[in-house]
Amino acid sequence: MNSLGKLSLVPGHPKAPGFLGSIGKYMNILRVSLVERLAYRGDFLLGTVLRFLPMISAIFLWKAVYQGAETEVLSNYTYSQVIAYLLLVHISRMFSSMPGLAAGVARDIRDGNLKRYLIQPLDFMAYLLAYRGAHKIAYIATSALPYLGLFTLCSGYFETTPSLATLGLWLITLFLSFLLGYFFELTLGMLGFWMLEVSSFLYLVNTLNFFVSGHFFPIDLMEPEGLATILKMLPFQFLAYFPAAVFLDKIPIQQIIPLVGVQILWVVFFALAARILWRLGLKRYSAFGG
Amino acid sequence: MASELAFRWNFLMKIALELLWLVILLTFYKTLFAKTSIISGWTEGEYLFFVGCYYTLEGVIESLFLENATEFAELIRKGDLDFYLLKPVDEQFLVSFRKFDWSTAPKILIGGGLMGIALFQLDWVFDPLKVVGFVFLFSGGVALSYGFLLALASTSVWLVRNQSLLELWWLFTTLMRYPREIYQSGWAWSLWVFFSLVVPAMLVVSIPSEIMVRSLDPFWSFWVIASSLLVLWASRRFFQLAIRSYRSASS
Repeated sequence: MNSLGKLSLVPGHPKAPGFLGSIGKYMNILRVSLVERLAYRGDFLLGTVLRFLPMISAIFLWKAVYQGAETEVLSNYTYSQVIAYLLLVHISRMFSSMPGLAAGVARDIRDGNLKRYLIQPLDFMAYLLAYRGAHKIAYIATSALPYLGLFTLCSGYFETTPSLATLGLWLITLFLSFLLGYFFELTLGMLGFWMLEVSSFLYLVNTLNFFVSGHFFPIDLMEPEGLATILKMLPFQFLAYFPAAVFLDKIPIQQIIPLVGVQILWVVFFALAARILWRLGLKRYSAFGG
Repeated sequence: MASELAFRWNFLMKIALELLWLVILLTFYKTLFAKTSIISGWTEGEYLFFVGCYYTLEGVIESLFLENATEFAELIRKGDLDFYLLKPVDEQFLVSFRKFDWSTAPKILIGGGLMGIALFQLDWVFDPLKVVGFVFLFSGGVALSYGFLLALASTSVWLVRNQSLLELWWLFTTLMRYPREIYQSGWAWSLWVFFSLVVPAMLVVSIPSEIMVRSLDPFWSFWVIASSLLVLWASRRFFQLAIRSYRSASS
């Protein structure tokens, strides 16, 4: 009997891989994506360096503002703390930004490429999460060295060393900001089921997101003051401002835990929104071509 | 304009994006001046004029050149540049002014409006000499920016895919976005000297604004005009060198 004789010819579905098998599948996607991303480490390094150059302008602009105001503290922030904040939001963004995710999903829907995923035993959202996770790991790994150099160079702007508890909370908020950024972008991408061209809309949303998340300066400094209160009610603050403020001890410890809870709720909200839009979208999706 | 309006939704979104940037710029400006009354010698009204001047200059560059400069790399990659080289018109003119981006044109008017509001706030007294000086220096700033963009775009001939062009342009605008005086302290002096004398990015908006709402700085004003002519000449030579190195990619 040859080896073919051992094969089961009973028609039907192959044996389900089980929970651990599923995890293994997405870990493999993560590993392959990681290798793919690390092929472009030169790009990463250049991009990281270029991204920090505008910091030089920010350092001197804020210096001029504090000199003009003739004060050490503005809205509870010293000059050094503002600069430390601006450095830290780069770390927040390193976790929460998902360049091209929404546009890629919308393009796959529009071009009919979505069928590639639909015919495979894959959950589209879990697949993309593994893929983006690999992006982030590769990015963090390749930019760790330049970031370390830059933060060492700018260590004078960090007035205090955070406690271990603060560091732990900071890492948790960063991980949650990654999940929030991912599900928010995914939700936007799902709009591709209903809108033919979303690129301009995405650009608009991302620009707004950049500003209201506190990337340009601490939300606490924003004028008029009512604007800061409104922005702190929105989910976007968790993408940039919140982790940085936790690191700098700008939020009392007793308020951090409830706010982490709110951050988790926003993650769940956008995960559900993306899932619902995905299911509704698939009902009207039709792919043509070979 | 007709081709832009064929994609109305996209066109409106692009305009909305420009307005959003303006709101961000003004919120940032308001936030800064809620904390202080002066930034490196610039009062609130003077700084608003600076913001308006920056916004106008960016509008001029983006409407006239930016899209053309970024598409230059595509013309090379696809071999379409051949069609332009065959025409009996100057190649630099054809490549630089191929399209006009109408979606960024409102920035020119809005920037002008901001400058007008600032002058009103400052109780500015009309002075034709200052206006003529401003027009000259602003044109110098446009010429400097255009020369820089043209030189960057020309590198596409060798790099074929020039994705860093927009990023470098953005860095260039970062340097012209704030008054030059903020860099005149500490270790930023070396930056100030380099980006004023060698690559005069820090003068592009500062010097035209100063002549209108502060005072004329004769040396740096002269340098804006002289360096803009120099950059225009050098970027043209560089563009021509790039064109000579161009090898058609089409069949």
